[in-house]
Amino acid sequence: MTLFQFLATTAFYAAMLGILIAAALCVTVRNLFHSAVFLAFTLIGIAMLYFFLQAEFIAAMQILLYVGAIMTLIVFAVMLTSRMGNPAVPQSFKNKKIVFLPLGLVGFILISAILKTPWETSEPQTAVNAVTLGKALMNQYVFPFEVVSLVLLVALIGAIVIARSE
Amino acid sequence: MYGLGVLKGLWVTIKNFTLSYFTRKRLTTVQYPEERITLSEHARTFPILVYDESPDKLRCVACEICAKECPPKCISIVRAQDEAGKPLKQPKFFDIDYSVCMNCGICEEVCPFDSIYMDRQFELSAYERSEEFLYTKDRLAKSAEYFSKIRPETAKKVEEKRKAKEK
Amino acid sequence: MLNTIDQIFIKAKQIILDILSPFLPEWMMILISIFIVIVTLCVFGPVVMMYLTLLERKFIGRMQNRYGPNRCGIFGLLQPLSDGIKMFTKEDIVPQKADPFAHFLGPITVIIPSLLVFSVIPFGRNMIPSDLSIGILFFFAVASTSTLWIFTAAWGSRNKFSLLGGMRAVAQMVSYEIPMLLSIVPALLVVGSFSTVAIVNAQEGLQWFVFTPWGLVGFILFFLTGVAEVNRCPFDLPEGESEIIAGFHTEYSGMKFALFYMAEYMNAFSVSALVTTVYLGGWQGPILPSWLWFFAKTFVLISIMMWFRGTFPRMRVDQLMGFAWRGLLPLAFINLLAAALWVHLSFPLNDILSFCILTVSVLMIYVANRKVAPKKRIYKYAYE
Repeated sequence: MTLFQFLATTAFYAAMLGILIAAALCVTVRNLFHSAVFLAFTLIGIAMLYFFLQAEFIAAMQILLYVGAIMTLIVFAVMLTSRMGNPAVPQSFKNKKIVFLPLGLVGFILISAILKTPWETSEPQTAVNAVTLGKALMNQYVFPFEVVSLVLLVALIGAIVIARSE
Repeated sequence: MYGLGVLKGLWVTIKNFTLSYFTRKRLTTVQYPEERITLSEHARTFPILVYDESPDKLRCVACEICAKECPPKCISIVRAQDEAGKPLKQPKFFDIDYSVCMNCGICEEVCPFDSIYMDRQFELSAYERSEEFLYTKDRLAKSAEYFSKIRPETAKKVEEKRKAKEK
Repeated sequence: MLNTIDQIFIKAKQIILDILSPFLPEWMMILISIFIVIVTLCVFGPVVMMYLTLLERKFIGRMQNRYGPNRCGIFGLLQPLSDGIKMFTKEDIVPQKADPFAHFLGPITVIIPSLLVFSVIPFGRNMIPSDLSIGILFFFAVASTSTLWIFTAAWGSRNKFSLLGGMRAVAQMVSYEIPMLLSIVPALLVVGSFSTVAIVNAQEGLQWFVFTPWGLVGFILFFLTGVAEVNRCPFDLPEGESEIIAGFHTEYSGMKFALFYMAEYMNAFSVSALVTTVYLGGWQGPILPSWLWFFAKTFVLISIMMWFRGTFPRMRVDQLMGFAWRGLLPLAFINLLAAALWVHLSFPLNDILSFCILTVSVLMIYVANRKVAPKKRIYKYAYE
């Protein structure tokens, strides 16, 4: 079975590498539409990581909501803002090397925070499945649930108000 | 009511589907190379020349009326001459270009000698356009029995007219 | 005996594994057992799709008073093979100014969700490729990504009409997803689990969900929204065959078009399979083997989809959207309410109450959606 563990670990790291490559491509590619597609790949990769970590419900929700709905929104936004002919983003500033300074600073802060966090948990957590999540949402976390649904309702009404024809 | 048209449409289609296995009326396809539909008598495709006794003695006298009346001018006729150069009453060359012919039937209507009539053959495909579709006199000649087989009523009328003229 | 026929595929796989097990180490046996299932699915999907195309052509042909294809082989049975050969040998044309990345990626990504959802469909007793605890949710999650990939395919065509077809496709798929998810929820409510195996096991005997009031409405809702999700007639505006030539897959030829075509029929099959799993009892049935029941029910539903294709004209885009947002969505919510009441009350009252609620709501939705006929015009100055 150690071969399987080895394969699983390799697959996990390969998925992480894939996510990093897709994210890097997403922010560096010039064509806006391509970068939206790479963002979709990044989000699917994150869902795969959730599958590896046995949080299946969260993984399915990630695909359903992020890739299914939010990416559609982003792609429509890209379509509405760019011309169809050449959706590349025009370069506005010339001196690119100065970017590395704040980038390095932020990277240093993030990496040191990640390395200093105690990631090891003492005992194995119980897997949260949909039933316990549903019960918790209805019993313990009912107030945030209602607030979120109110926010969604306001967004829907706002969209209808903006989009209706006079 | 609102949804009934939908259900009626579904009923029509399913009736068509099931009854197409039983009645011929609901499955009107003719499987072409194996079955053929019979054409009516007045269907016309391309012209032929009719002879009475032998292919040498065509009814045609080379009057060239059909060549003059043909709209796309697909008929070309050369009158035969005997040894002395005197014109004879039969054609030496009678060529119809089937690739030009537009199947109008005017040549049949204007022929005063009952010699050119429209046939019903349409399965005439060939591999070359210039050689195969230029029909010469020997390919155009068909006997009177053939003519009465493909167009019985017209043949009967033509026979009666010719007998009346002979008398 | 019946049990043997019922489990014949499981036994065949076991026989293959037993033949191979003395020779190979254990880790390879596990890989091989997974591999057998994957190969079966990857062969089964396209073969089913090919013969579904033939079935559709013959079925629709008979409805239109003609034979379907019957020249290639008896009853046209080799026609899909000749179609496959044709599609393999066609030239792959990429428009000059099209985006090569999107053009290449479109067909590949459209077919991935179609194949992936076969893994959560229970084809028979113990015959599910992978029994996820979130089976149904996985199906919907993966199927909902198709909107993005169809849009990628439309973008890659560099053609205004394909882009229009793609946008209409996305709008249609997004707006029919909500009633689809809501129409499944009553069944999940009653069963208490997302797993497809649990849903089929909860329909023992002849207690299929379709025989309950909320189940009947849910079945019709799910079937109609499923037909809309896979872009089949009468909802096939995105690939409107006579309007915008072929919608989002106009500019694709050869193998790429074959992939789109395959994706459409595999989607139709998987949606029918899911409808039978959730509402029609999956593989439950009295005497015949379980996989035979499953295929019979799925086949009936696919035939109904083809029947719709031969009968109805295409819906206009505003009629399509109106149907989803004003007709099916309120009905889906009320169906959920009726199902919840059904679960908590006891026998005679629950059926009667949910039946009354549902009929009243259907009538109310029908009355509320009737278009007011415009007043008859009076031409005051004509005929003077």
